[in-house]
This record gives sequence, structure tokens and C-alpha cells, in this order.
Amino acid sequence: MNMNSEKSELKVITGNGAAAISAVLCRPDVVAAYPITPQTEIIEKLSHYHATGRLDAEMVTVDGENSAMNTVTAASAAGARVFTATSSWGLVFMYDAVLAASGARAPVVMVNVNRETPGIIAVSAGQQDMISIRDCGWIFLIAEDSQEILDLVIMAYRLAEDYDIQVPVMVHYDGFYLSYMAERVEVPSQKSVDDFLAVLKTQPERTKLVPGQKLGCGAHGILEGYVELRHKHCAAMERAKDKFEEISLDFEKQFNRSYGGQIEEYRLDDAEIVLVASGSMCGTIKTVIDEQREKGLKIGLLRIRMFRPFPSEKIIKALKGKKCAGVVDRSICFGFKPGPMCVELKSFSRELGDLKILSFIDGIANTDITKINVEKMISMTIAGAKGENVPEVTWISYDKDLKEC
Amino acid sequence: MADKKKKKRLSKVFDYLKYEDPFAKGVSFCAGCPLERLVRFVPQVMGNDIVITGTPSCSAPVLLGQNGKSWHKLSYYGTLMTGAASNATGLARYYKRAGIDGTVVCFNGDGTAADIGFGNLSGAAERNEPFVYICYDNEGYMNTGIQKSSTTPFGAKTTTTPVGSNERGKNLRRKNLGLLLAMHKIPYAATATLSNLEDFAKKLLKAKEISKKGFCFLHIFSPCPTGWGMPTDTGIEVCRKAVQTNYFPLWEAENGKFSFTKEVKKPKPIKEYVKLVKKFSHLTEEEIEVLQKDVDYEYAVLKQLSLLDQECPLPD
Amino acid sequence: MSEKIYFNFQGPWSDAATELLCSDTGSWRTERPVLDEEKCILCGFCAMYCPIQCIEMKGQFFHSDLNFCKGCGVCARECPKKAISMVPEGEFK
Repeated sequence: MNMNSEKSELKVITGNGAAAISAVLCRPDVVAAYPITPQTEIIEKLSHYHATGRLDAEMVTVDGENSAMNTVTAASAAGARVFTATSSWGLVFMYDAVLAASGARAPVVMVNVNRETPGIIAVSAGQQDMISIRDCGWIFLIAEDSQEILDLVIMAYRLAEDYDIQVPVMVHYDGFYLSYMAERVEVPSQKSVDDFLAVLKTQPERTKLVPGQKLGCGAHGILEGYVELRHKHCAAMERAKDKFEEISLDFEKQFNRSYGGQIEEYRLDDAEIVLVASGSMCGTIKTVIDEQREKGLKIGLLRIRMFRPFPSEKIIKALKGKKCAGVVDRSICFGFKPGPMCVELKSFSRELGDLKILSFIDGIANTDITKINVEKMISMTIAGAKGENVPEVTWISYDKDLKEC
Repeated sequence: MADKKKKKRLSKVFDYLKYEDPFAKGVSFCAGCPLERLVRFVPQVMGNDIVITGTPSCSAPVLLGQNGKSWHKLSYYGTLMTGAASNATGLARYYKRAGIDGTVVCFNGDGTAADIGFGNLSGAAERNEPFVYICYDNEGYMNTGIQKSSTTPFGAKTTTTPVGSNERGKNLRRKNLGLLLAMHKIPYAATATLSNLEDFAKKLLKAKEISKKGFCFLHIFSPCPTGWGMPTDTGIEVCRKAVQTNYFPLWEAENGKFSFTKEVKKPKPIKEYVKLVKKFSHLTEEEIEVLQKDVDYEYAVLKQLSLLDQECPLPD
Repeated sequence: MSEKIYFNFQGPWSDAATELLCSDTGSWRTERPVLDEEKCILCGFCAMYCPIQCIEMKGQFFHSDLNFCKGCGVCARECPKKAISMVPEGEFK
């Protein structure tokens, strides 16, 4: 990485490498580092950049993930730009601190490399870690490939630190599939990233914890005072939706790359049937859609890029008038039959009109979502659109009726 | 009478109280709680530009504000017990980087320091983070209603180590938190208590200075009148007796060099201390002897350490 | 629900620049410290150890601020000359 170049560079790097470079480009003040598979490469890279002078930050090699989040949250409250990264059980181990970060409205940016989580030890991909903490008050962004990882981290700072938002942002991407896979990534110049983030300096200063200034962070919220803070937080989450659209457009202007905003609409305009998905599987889905389009099938993809706040309005607009949507979840919603994103989508099904909604659960614990799997989802969605009798929920790679198990 | 001017013979401690007490006069500590004297004493000596971090505990209702207002004029950060030392790390590191002056004081009870937050306290000590960690040790989880902690001494009655036909209070011994932290080879570790305020003040000032470079740990003995079963006027007396019996010796370790800051020439038997506190009232002579042996052992270890002629300063 | 705004911030911050929170701790008291000025040697131990720090020099002697004194009795116990006695509040009614 050439820090002085004014031009972008093309590199072949892993998703983790992209996350690390992106963090460096955003010039954090305090970085907390603790390893966990499949995130480790990020903090190794950051430590390397720090040791070789490319990263000018306070590097804290903490004693665990809980400490990582606590360290960056307090530093953020003091006024620092901060970065840390985790995955799976690490995310769980910092759960109380994750809540404290959003409670304090600290604009922390963290990368979470998605990995299976609850109960069963599994060193494999899955979004269950993200799903397990979805109501933590953070903004969640999900990347599809290494380039988007790099780009989303930069956008995450613009969003988290925006004066009107001040909510921590977690950038998610699939472990193993993206974390270790090297691909072509355009690394923007330091100057272009500085320019993109410079807007933040023109905004009013957020409240900062400074010695001797008689301010405190972490007051009790009591009765209506607590309600007031929760309401403010929810309002900021709502504002974050439009803000992210704005930031995405700004990003496109600056870097000439566009992904859409809260959602990406892939060949959706005239589509009659739709797959709704997120993360790395979308690459495979897009390939299959292209093939099916060749055959004349009117199919598109709605990719969820912002999972919290949930882009309901955008989804309603994009799906209205479609015949059938298959929602693909790489995680489980215990106690519900459909996958988590499908459950959420169904919460506003009335506003989606006659759209039939199917749930596909697949790709759990590194069981690949192959082209064949996607084709199977598509044929079921077609059947659903035709009004045929299709199960509401299908575990694509493990197709047993729940009643039989 | 009114004409007879008396000459002031003020204690030397007043020389150390250089700064305003930043707390409101009416705050919700139990009557007679030494912790209240402690929280007011720290900024009176260290100054009002400290940033204090507090956790859910007896001090939280006072250290942390409510609905936009505060009980004191200090800058504070309200944090979780699990990550107290890590929060202080984040603050101290950023202030260091940004060139902002001010001492971060991580202020916690024994529940946080010795138990639920011990891991990250140890981590911060190992990394030699530039802040002062003060543990006020009231030997239990007092705010939740007097449960046993790992610094609760042998024999003490708490609500989770009750006295009944099958149990005789805590049947385990206490963890020596001060020594554990000193063994992290931090630049400054010390014990202090409220009966010896001059000693305490000197240690606070030393910690403030040394913390610019590295981690300082102060272990403060702070009896709990409500939880231990003591009349409200005996807080200071119990502290004094704890020192006089070597139950809580006053020492410091600077760069690993141990020394007693108050050497007790003729230590009183632990019985003298035990009889002041109801949580020990069920103890038999034999049980008191177990406590005595524990105190003697800890003191002997400290004594040997104080005789060592070695230091372990960090290279500059 | 009232229209009152409690926090002038987005998050749980408090500001001590204006007034502080304060409890009526004087109402907790069942006994109050009474000083025998004859015995007092002005060592200041009472003021030094007072947990509330509500004992201040007023005129020639140290006196408690009864608006906040919780009546714990630490001052009386720590007085080396036993110049302070704790007197039940009932006697002042």
C-alpha cells in the first residue's frame, strides 16, 4: 500500500486484507486487536502496518473481545476514531460492551466476519452471529465481496460519525468465503479517502469526554429519561436509512463505484420472481440469474446491504407487484420456521400486496450454496409464483420435514 | 469564652486537601460509609481534572448521573463491571495520543476488581496502561445486598455464605488483590485506608504522577457498616484496627520494590479487629485462629518482599 | 408522558455545569453532633473524617451542616477529646 500515492492501486487481496487496508485508510486513533478465526488476518495486518509505520494509531493488544469493545467505546466517547474487528464467539463475548457502545451512541466502527455461533462449536461460515445480536442498536451493513468490504468500512465511518446519526456501525461479511479468498480489489488513494471523510470535519462536534469539563457519559436513564434516549436512538436509526443513500451517492461520485444504497436491486425492474439475499452468496445468485435471464426467465435479486435499520420502505417499493419472493437465510430463527430475514420481511407482508413469500435456509456451517442450490430455489420460487403448492420453508441442503426429525 | 482564642492545631492531612470537594453534599451513601469519605477524598487530593470511571456498585448511584444531571463536577464515564479497566484504557490511550492532560481514575469495588473484571484489570496491568486503578475493597458485593466476593475473608457471614447448621460463613480464604497486581510488575502498587489519610494522600499523588507513564493500582480497605454489621460511627475505627492487627498492612511497591509505609511494631491479635464487626460474631476461638494464621501468612510474605533488595523498572 | 426533555444530548450524558443533583440527607438523621467548645482543641479530625465533608469552620469552631449531616457519629467517635456528643433529634423538637 503506497500511502503517498494520489492514485488508486489494483491489488489482489483477501477480504480480511481489504478490511485492514480500509481501516488504515480511515486513520483511526485507537485500534483494539484480539484474534479469532476467521478474522485474525485483519489484526495481524493492522499490527504489521502499525509496526512498519503505516498505521499511526494507539494499538491496544487487548486481553479479549470484551476488552476490545470496551476499549474502543470509551476512546470513542473521548473523541477518538476507533476500529476493531471480531467474529462469532468473540462477538458474543463482547455482547454487553456492544450494547454499551450503542447505548452511549459511540460511533464505533467494527468489522464482524460472519461465522456460525450458538452452542455447537463450528469453525465455519454462517450469519448466525449477526442474527444473534441483531437488536443491539447498531447499524449493520453486509458486504458481498472484498471490494465492497473495503468500500463499506469507509462508508461506515461517514455514517457512524455523522452528527445526525452517532450510532455504531458493524460491517459484516462471510467468513471463509470472503475472509480468506483473494480477489482483485481497487485500493483508493489516501487522499481520496481523506477527502471523502473530510465532510465530517465540517459538522458540529459531537459531545466528547474531556477532563475537567464537568461532562459525564453513562448517566442512568430513569423512567421517562430512559424512554427519551431510546426514542432518540430509534429516530437516529430511521435517519440512517436516507443518510446511507446519500453517502452511497457521494461515494459513487468520489470513487466511481456503486452498489445501490440500503439494498442493491439486481435485474429487478421487470422481474416477476425475486430472490432476497445478502452476503457472498449473492455472487452465485447473480450468475444463476444471468443464466436464467438468457433463457427468458424474468428473475432478479434484491440484495440486503443494510440489515439494521431494516430497509422496509425500500424493500416494499422494490417488491411491490412481484409474484413470488424467495428469501435466502444463512442462519436460523429459533422458534420460527422461516429464516430470520424472511421473518422480518413478513412483518410487513400486507404492504407487499399479493406477493408470495418463501423461506430458503441454506449455506449454514460452510455447506456451500452452489449454483444447483440456487437453481432449486429458483424453480421453487417459479412454482410459488404459479400458485403451486410449495412448502413455506425449505432447508435446501437438508430437506427434511421438521415434523419428521 | 468567646474571647479566648484557641490556637488551631490542624492535622497535616489538611495540607493535602488542595482541591474543592466536587460532590454535592447530599449523596446516597449509607450513613457513616467510609466509601463516601473515599470518593470525596480522591479529587480533593488529586484535583478536579481527573476523569473517573464508575461501574454498577455502591458508588454508581453517586458517580454516575441521572437523566442528564450529575451528583458531582468531575468528568466521568459510566461503564460495565466486566470491562472497567478496558474502558479506562480507551480513555487513557486516546488522551495520551491527543495530548490531552488529565488523569484517568478507574474506580471500582472488589466485585469488579477481584472478580468479574479481574481479567481485563490484569490485562491493563500487563500492558502497563497509563491510568490509576483504585479498588475500594468492602469485601463483598455490597450493592446487591452483601454477597461473598473473592476478597471476603475466612469466616465472614454474607448472604451467600450464611451461618447455619451446615455452614459457618465463608469457608475459603481471601484473595490478596494488592499482591496479585504488584506481581504484574507495574510501576506502582499500594494499599491504603481511611484511618491513615496522610499515607493515603501521598499514595494518590504518587500514583497521579507515575500514571503518566504506566499503570498504578491502589487497593483501599473500605469497611461497609451496613453489610458487616458495624455501628455507623465505627468506619474509621475499623480501618485503624485493620492496620494495627496487620489484617490490612499499609505497603507500596514502586518498580517492584516493596516497603511498608506504616510498620506496626506490635501488631494486635486479630481478635481485636474481629470483635468490632458482626459478620465475624459467630466465630469460635479456633475459627478466629484460622483467620489469624491467614493474616500472619500474608504479612510474612510481604515482610520477605520488603527485605528484597531488587527492583524491576521498565526500560524507558 | 411529559414533554420534558431530560438529556440535552443524543446519548446518556450529564452536565454538571449548572446545578448538581442533591438529596435531602439531613432528613435521615436520628442524632445530631453537638460540640462542647470547651473541650475542642481545633485539631479538625471531625472535619477530616466526616464522610459527607459537611463539617466546616464556622466562626471559631468546626460545625456540621445539619442540612446534610446523616448523623453517623464518625466525628464524635474520632474526636480525640470527646468534645462531640451525639444527641437524639427528639430533644431538639
